[in-house]
Amino acid sequence: MLISRVADHCFWFGRYIERAESAARTLGSTRETMLGAERAARFSWLPVIIAAGEQDRFAELIGEARAEHGEVVQTYLVWDLRTLSSLHATVRAARDNARSIRDHLSQEAWEQINGLHLWMASGDAREEWDRDRHGFYGRIRRSMLLLTGIMRSTMLRDDALEFIRLGAVLERANQTARVLDVHHHAITQDRPHLVLDNALWLGLLRACAGFEPFMRRNRGRVSGEGVAEFLVLERRFPRSLRYSLDSALARVDAIRSPSGPGARSQRHLAELRAWLLEFGPETLRDGRIHELTTHVIDEVHGCATDIARDFLGA
Amino acid sequence: MAQTQSQSQSQSQAGSGSGANVFADYQPLANTYDELYLPGVGSQPSRPRPNVAKLLEPLVRMGADELAHRSELAHLSLLNQGVTFSVYSDSAGVEKVFPMCPIPRIITANEWDTLERGLVQRTRALELFLADIYGDQAILANPKIPADIILGSEAYMPKLRGIDPPAGVRIHVGGIDLIRDGEGVFRVLEDNLRCPSGVSYVLENRVVTKRVFPELARRCRVRGVDTYPARLADALRSVGPSGSGSDCLSVVLTPGVHNSAYFEHTFLARMMGVMLVEAADLFVDDDKVFAKTTQGPKRVHSIYRRTDESYLDPEMFRPESMLGVPGIMRAYAKGNVALANAPGNGIADDKAVYPLVPEFIRYYLDEEPILAQVPTYLCARPDDLAYVLDHLDELVVKMVDQAGGYGMLMGPQATKAERDEYAIQVRAEPRKFIAQPRIELSTTPTWIPGKARVEPRRVDLRPYIVSSPEGPWVLCGGLTRVALVEGSYVVNSSQGGGSKDTWVLEDDDPDEPEAGRTLIEERAEEC
Repeated sequence: MLISRVADHCFWFGRYIERAESAARTLGSTRETMLGAERAARFSWLPVIIAAGEQDRFAELIGEARAEHGEVVQTYLVWDLRTLSSLHATVRAARDNARSIRDHLSQEAWEQINGLHLWMASGDAREEWDRDRHGFYGRIRRSMLLLTGIMRSTMLRDDALEFIRLGAVLERANQTARVLDVHHHAITQDRPHLVLDNALWLGLLRACAGFEPFMRRNRGRVSGEGVAEFLVLERRFPRSLRYSLDSALARVDAIRSPSGPGARSQRHLAELRAWLLEFGPETLRDGRIHELTTHVIDEVHGCATDIARDFLGA
Repeated sequence: MAQTQSQSQSQSQAGSGSGANVFADYQPLANTYDELYLPGVGSQPSRPRPNVAKLLEPLVRMGADELAHRSELAHLSLLNQGVTFSVYSDSAGVEKVFPMCPIPRIITANEWDTLERGLVQRTRALELFLADIYGDQAILANPKIPADIILGSEAYMPKLRGIDPPAGVRIHVGGIDLIRDGEGVFRVLEDNLRCPSGVSYVLENRVVTKRVFPELARRCRVRGVDTYPARLADALRSVGPSGSGSDCLSVVLTPGVHNSAYFEHTFLARMMGVMLVEAADLFVDDDKVFAKTTQGPKRVHSIYRRTDESYLDPEMFRPESMLGVPGIMRAYAKGNVALANAPGNGIADDKAVYPLVPEFIRYYLDEEPILAQVPTYLCARPDDLAYVLDHLDELVVKMVDQAGGYGMLMGPQATKAERDEYAIQVRAEPRKFIAQPRIELSTTPTWIPGKARVEPRRVDLRPYIVSSPEGPWVLCGGLTRVALVEGSYVVNSSQGGGSKDTWVLEDDDPDEPEAGRTLIEERAEEC
């Protein structure tokens, strides 16, 4: 049992950790592919802004036309504290939540997130950003993975950890849906070209840490439908929508006491999962990706609202 | 906006750096084609070739400290990625990083276009030659083709005659080594059709150069290399025995963890998502190949073998071999498993057969060869033999069944006594020798850490060609090997060679505004 306020901090701590890792991955992999010739021609930084839900604010604060400049977009999405979506703001928000649940976090977990926060705010992070961008994104990614691992291996398996993990898997479903949606849109907006598309699909897989798992699962066969199916339905890939929802349901099951609240959240998640499973490979082929991802993003938001009402004192 | 401006300032400072400008006194070698620089004329200093001058701007302006930092970053990257090769020694294999010069080797879109067509043409002809020589042998009726040279070669395997490989492909992966002569003309130096290695460095080097030279990569618009594993996986699947279809199980067969190219074997298996197996993991039953798995035996349809063919099957090749899979050649002969590359390919990349390849292209394709070769004298031919003996002081003479520089005479550097003695050997067994003029391999600017400056070093290029039943496909790029030792012509890693990333430009003369931007704008755009 947890105080609802504490559970709320745990939930959001989990979401911010996942969001920071995902943002670092997406920014890093987009930058790398933009350095190649294929991507530059048909892909721009705009989808990354859209995936972060920052289209309007970017237009207002920076100017729409600047969206084609990789450095401007990266600077905004990493450093700008005027938006809560920037990497810097996300790391700070994660650390602020962690500070409110210090008694539940292990010392090592706290040191890890606090250390990252201090580094981000120091000149060292700026210097690494200037000198080795690849290394910069890699460090943030690894910090978040390390934090997740530290929590798993040093913390009591209690509700605090369950709420952190619940926040993380819901955020993951949200991020995978967003990244899939914008990449899919960018790739299919022109007439398809096989070689080019393969390179772009591989870029999408990298943005979701899915390159090697996908290749292993599909023995090297790359196709747009295959990638979409993998990211949506693969039950064993920890970043697929299905896996994320399965995992969220398992967390809610573990948290909920039989007589206590939670039925609403459980039902909502189960409905979304059932809806998702009705998509087979054939339906994904019919270009219904956008419909699917939009629905998932909306409903994940809805589930989070129900979780807040059931457990978090909203 | 304000942030972006301060960004551009700090970066342009980082860019010029401290320390001397590394290109300040760069001077191409005499009589040698430098790929990026024109030699100085009179009082005029050397300068970048006009077609790449604008692209190179960020590099040319770089200070020694900055380049040293990036070179160090490249080395660390390779070490962390685990991109190593094993060095055989008394104890267990020692792992070393294959030295990499971070300055990329650049090939323009125009140059590449010709190379690509030439490589496809050559691969098609070699594929047809192999099908013919292990089939009807129609070409031997051609008076321009000396049958005894081909059939007498140790690389020709009469046991394989009449065996058709699945889907008719033999050269699933080809590596055709190219050099550029003193005039800059690309020439084929040799074909590698058995088990060409090195492609993992091509992919890993690209990860590194994007990391250490992002501003340059962006400016140059480099064609991608990362679809290679998917292409190879497709090719392996496409030659699976009939009926295997989408269930086709491909594996990579490695000699094991102590093999010098073990890293590459794991890399390719990982990138293609297929199993990495050793010979002991496979067995043959009912002339079909199976892998021993936790779920029992699983039928294997397609094997990318990175083992030497003489160790493939003790039943057929070396009875004493412990490395092989007994019976695998029976399975292959029945069409039950694809072997990539096909056994027997050695006859097509034999040194004595090499001079005949242009004739193969004319014979099988009725086309003129697109790629030049190095003029080669076959001592088995009386006219050639006479010429070689007369011109030993100008020629490099090689033994056909030796590699790696063994049994070779470097005529221009040898003493008269050495030449006379060598001539006796050549006269005794002329068919064992070929001769070629020494080519002044092209150079490209290379970072020399010990001197903290950039100097010209000689390079070659190994492009990779993947073939499926639909024909050959050429990876845009390839492995550039560089002779890091001053004055050296030898690019082998065992003799002081290193590698470079090979950048094939998307477009030589991009008319997009990006190409015309100033350096400061560029730096502000991309770190």
